Amino acid sequence: MTTVDRPTPPVRTHKAERTWVGKSIRRVEDPRFLRGRGGYIADLVLPGMLHAAVLRSPHPHARIVSIDTSRAEAAPGVHAVVTGAQAAELTDPLPDFGPNPAAHTWRCLAVDKVRYVGEGVAVVVADDRYLAEDALELIDVEYEPLPPVVDPLAALADDAPLVHEPLGSNCAYDRTFEFGDVAGDFERADVVVTDQLRWHRSGGQPLETVGAVAEHDPATGGFRVHTNSLSFTSYLFMVATALKIPANRLDIVPMPAGGSFGSKLFVTKPLVIAAMCARLTGRPVRYLEDRVDNMANCDHHGSDRHYDVRMALTRDGKITAIDIDTVDDYGAYIQFGVGHHGNALAQVVGPYTIGSVRYRVRAVLTNKNQQGAYRGFGSEVNNWMLEQMVDKAARELGMDPVEIRRRNFIRSFPHFIPTGNVYDSGDYDAVLDKTLELGRYEHWREVQEQARAEGRYIGIGLITAQERSVFSATEFWFWFDEPGAPVTSMPESVTLKVDATGAITATLYSCAFWGNSPETMVAQLVAEEFDCDPHDVSVVYQSSKNGLPATGPGGSRTTVMLAGAVEGASAKIKEKARRAAAHLLEADPDDLEWRDGGFEVRGVPEKRKTLSEIAIMLHLFKHSFDEDVESGLEESKVFDHPYTTMPSADRKDLGVFYPFMGHACHLPVVEVDVETGVVTFLDYAAVHDCGTLVNPRSLAGHIQGGTAQGIGTALYEEFVYGPDGQLQTTSYLDYPIPTSLEVPELKIGHVETPSPWTPHGIKGGGEGGRMMAPAAINAAVNDALAPLGVRITELPLTPDRIRAALRAAGHGS
Amino acid sequence: MKPAAFDYAAPTRLADAIDLLVAHADAEPRVLAGGQSLVPLMNFRLAQPGFLVDLQHVDGLSDIRLTDDELVIGAMVRQSTAEESADAAAGAPLLVEALGHVAHPPIRNSGTIGGSIAHADPSAELPAVALALDATMTAAGPGGERRIPAAEFFRGPFETALGPDEILTEVRLPRRPGGHAFVEHARTHGGFAVVAVAVDLAVDDAGTVTRAAIALSGVGPTPIRATATEQALVGTVPDAESIRSAVAATVAVLSPAGDVHGSSETKVDMARSYLRRGIELALDRAASRR
Repeated sequence: MTTVDRPTPPVRTHKAERTWVGKSIRRVEDPRFLRGRGGYIADLVLPGMLHAAVLRSPHPHARIVSIDTSRAEAAPGVHAVVTGAQAAELTDPLPDFGPNPAAHTWRCLAVDKVRYVGEGVAVVVADDRYLAEDALELIDVEYEPLPPVVDPLAALADDAPLVHEPLGSNCAYDRTFEFGDVAGDFERADVVVTDQLRWHRSGGQPLETVGAVAEHDPATGGFRVHTNSLSFTSYLFMVATALKIPANRLDIVPMPAGGSFGSKLFVTKPLVIAAMCARLTGRPVRYLEDRVDNMANCDHHGSDRHYDVRMALTRDGKITAIDIDTVDDYGAYIQFGVGHHGNALAQVVGPYTIGSVRYRVRAVLTNKNQQGAYRGFGSEVNNWMLEQMVDKAARELGMDPVEIRRRNFIRSFPHFIPTGNVYDSGDYDAVLDKTLELGRYEHWREVQEQARAEGRYIGIGLITAQERSVFSATEFWFWFDEPGAPVTSMPESVTLKVDATGAITATLYSCAFWGNSPETMVAQLVAEEFDCDPHDVSVVYQSSKNGLPATGPGGSRTTVMLAGAVEGASAKIKEKARRAAAHLLEADPDDLEWRDGGFEVRGVPEKRKTLSEIAIMLHLFKHSFDEDVESGLEESKVFDHPYTTMPSADRKDLGVFYPFMGHACHLPVVEVDVETGVVTFLDYAAVHDCGTLVNPRSLAGHIQGGTAQGIGTALYEEFVYGPDGQLQTTSYLDYPIPTSLEVPELKIGHVETPSPWTPHGIKGGGEGGRMMAPAAINAAVNDALAPLGVRITELPLTPDRIRAALRAAGHGS
Repeated sequence: MKPAAFDYAAPTRLADAIDLLVAHADAEPRVLAGGQSLVPLMNFRLAQPGFLVDLQHVDGLSDIRLTDDELVIGAMVRQSTAEESADAAAGAPLLVEALGHVAHPPIRNSGTIGGSIAHADPSAELPAVALALDATMTAAGPGGERRIPAAEFFRGPFETALGPDEILTEVRLPRRPGGHAFVEHARTHGGFAVVAVAVDLAVDDAGTVTRAAIALSGVGPTPIRATATEQALVGTVPDAESIRSAVAATVAVLSPAGDVHGSSETKVDMARSYLRRGIELALDRAASRR
């Protein structure tokens, strides 16, 4: 292993007594959203606004021979019809972090050929969406169908048809990374466990789809665009480039996202389409995907992987090495590159002391909608793969799943894993102990035995896995030797304003409301600093125009990053307030201490000034103070990633890029009906450790919701492309999502191992449920079917797959 | 997902509704009942009727009547109304049990009994119930009224014996004491059935099956009767083994089309399992009611 310098940040000391951080207060967002006052894209109506609808390709792969829009242009209420070729004149390609973007150019509409079913070929702008859809039916497109590229393994063949001819291959990326002495570890292994696994694609399903309402100002050439993108400041310059305008002419106004789960990380295509149409027609334009647009054309399908894995162990169950070879079907474009595998590499060895890792990733392009972001961003797939391997090893060694995990737990922190990333802190035994107790592991093992005697198949899944948080963008470029770049700081900013009455407003940047509790969390952090009631803190969102540096939600970073920004802005405010109070109290600033919402002279509680007393003086009576004191009490803090380091030049050490490492143990108990392949839950315990809790109740909501999505991934949801390349699941008729009737009520537990390097010791916890549940449920089903000699290594575990596996094992009827 | 343009009328008299269908025949008119199937199809533009005749204000289509011999349900009776009706529970408990599987309560608040039967989705629950119970459908058209037995009513996927100018006005379900069961597999609660089984049977004091009517949804272009199973059961006192072989007689001839929810083999497996469960449950109930 190439060693790199491994400086660690100074260890923080955390406040022992906290008033608001750690309390399950009611969400401050609820009154607005529960009363239907959220104000989504579909609620926003601007004077003179027109509506856009996109014509979707019915072919997976076809050359566009001609498009005749004349009948559509003549249709009632139609203001414009734009083909892909015309759009390529009006706009530049969309932002793409993939390797060699010029060889697989991504545009807002297809130009010469379509590359998946649902890809847009033209857009109609009309008085309303009904008329726009009427006109879509009048566009005449002549296609020359090409053979579709559907199976990613077949796509790698030399003679496969090409999705992008300039690339000369369907393989957009192929590289093998070695961390540590993999060959030696396998040579020395007592046991080598191998397996092939298959994870099919699914995706986040937001209540409101992705959309934008764009206004163009012909006087400045600029745009104001309302969109439900989660992140906007950080990609502003890229969409501005696509619109061929300078970034300072684009103002992006955040709208609440009716759920994202990653799928609204960057709203690029809908934004560019709406803005292009607004500039063309001179009227505000709304483009809001409908459900079919979203399912077929959202650019945010999830991971779609084949795995070939080898794991090296000693006879007593110590895992020494893992050798992973994965082929990931990215679909027709590759906007985020293979960043999803960076997520995997952040925690590739799980909570285990595995000494060496080989990781080969091949990113394959096929005629499908492209991958984007989905809660877990590829790390959940790695968790599932690893836990499947650990379970298989336990089975081959005759070990209990609990025992093999304990044998391999990391117990000393900070711990640098072979890839170079660091785990800041953790107590995996504590999480496991708590789960076994909460989930009544021994009890269920007894029930399982009795049930088996009765011919019933109950399974207990147990997984222990990682929940990385707060990414550094190095994971998007360390794949390439060039270009090298310095470490990226990935900032997040907050402005705190104390008004003349002492009331506090927090302004957030590049952070839309996406269904979580950002306002509650910020209000609690502010209240912790200023001893006010969090429900009295006002939280507002700033558009990009007057924004501060910000990155936006993603990779479970928001709470840690906003906590740092709140901490920094609060310190500045308190510094100014301390000086003002000292002046008013005629005391030395160093003699003052902050106590119960104000400054007082240490040991003299009657000599104090509350924040509101200080604030009114600073707002209205500035001349009472020294010359250099300015009116007002408002401060901002741009908080940068607290700990990220460079990868080594040879990429044998990727540096620190996801350092705040949460952990969880999930313990579902299921019953498999072997006649029908139907899986039902009997119990489900989940214990998470994401450091210091800000709001246990809202974190429990995250865990419950994330687990519900994980249940979807494990048992129900799959975007199915037929061998002909047709998407067979374009509505919720064919893409089943678990409802409250399918999802058990979880028994949730928390362990708190603070991070040494973040404010209050907080780690991110936004994705944990979905990062654990698929692995846990697969384990449970396999445990149930073990007596029948059946083990399934493919998700989702639909009744059809379970029955097929049982039939193959001779359990026909 | 917006429908194509259409004209719309909401008459209050049945005769007017029929006249509208005749008058707008060129527009390929459709009858709108609860709208829970037709409207989504229109939004997907899979159905593009030029004219909709909304039945919700038409008099006389929303009654539930229970006589000594039969339960008569108006075509526009909302599914949730039937589900909560004591008369329906007394006259056709199989129907009420099946209604619990039809989508979700908000959908059943709008969806109608007649709408679901006339829509004839091969995966829907109510057509299987109508077939198992030997229901009779009353159709009204320009030529007057006619009655169509369930066995002749379902012609194919989304296809019935109703003429383009006919309106389903009521469903007549004979009262048949005994035991019933409605069981199904849907991918999620409230989803369309992958396989559904409706069982209606009777046993005598000795436990001998005196009557058996079994219908399946989801395994063919229309709901089908499990005739071979029915015949194998009648006149016997079923045990686990004879139920298994009675079920096998039907399963052997099933060849459902595979789709994203299951291969043909899996659907056959499901039919086998749910037929057995349905028969066992109905036998238990029949025995306990004696």
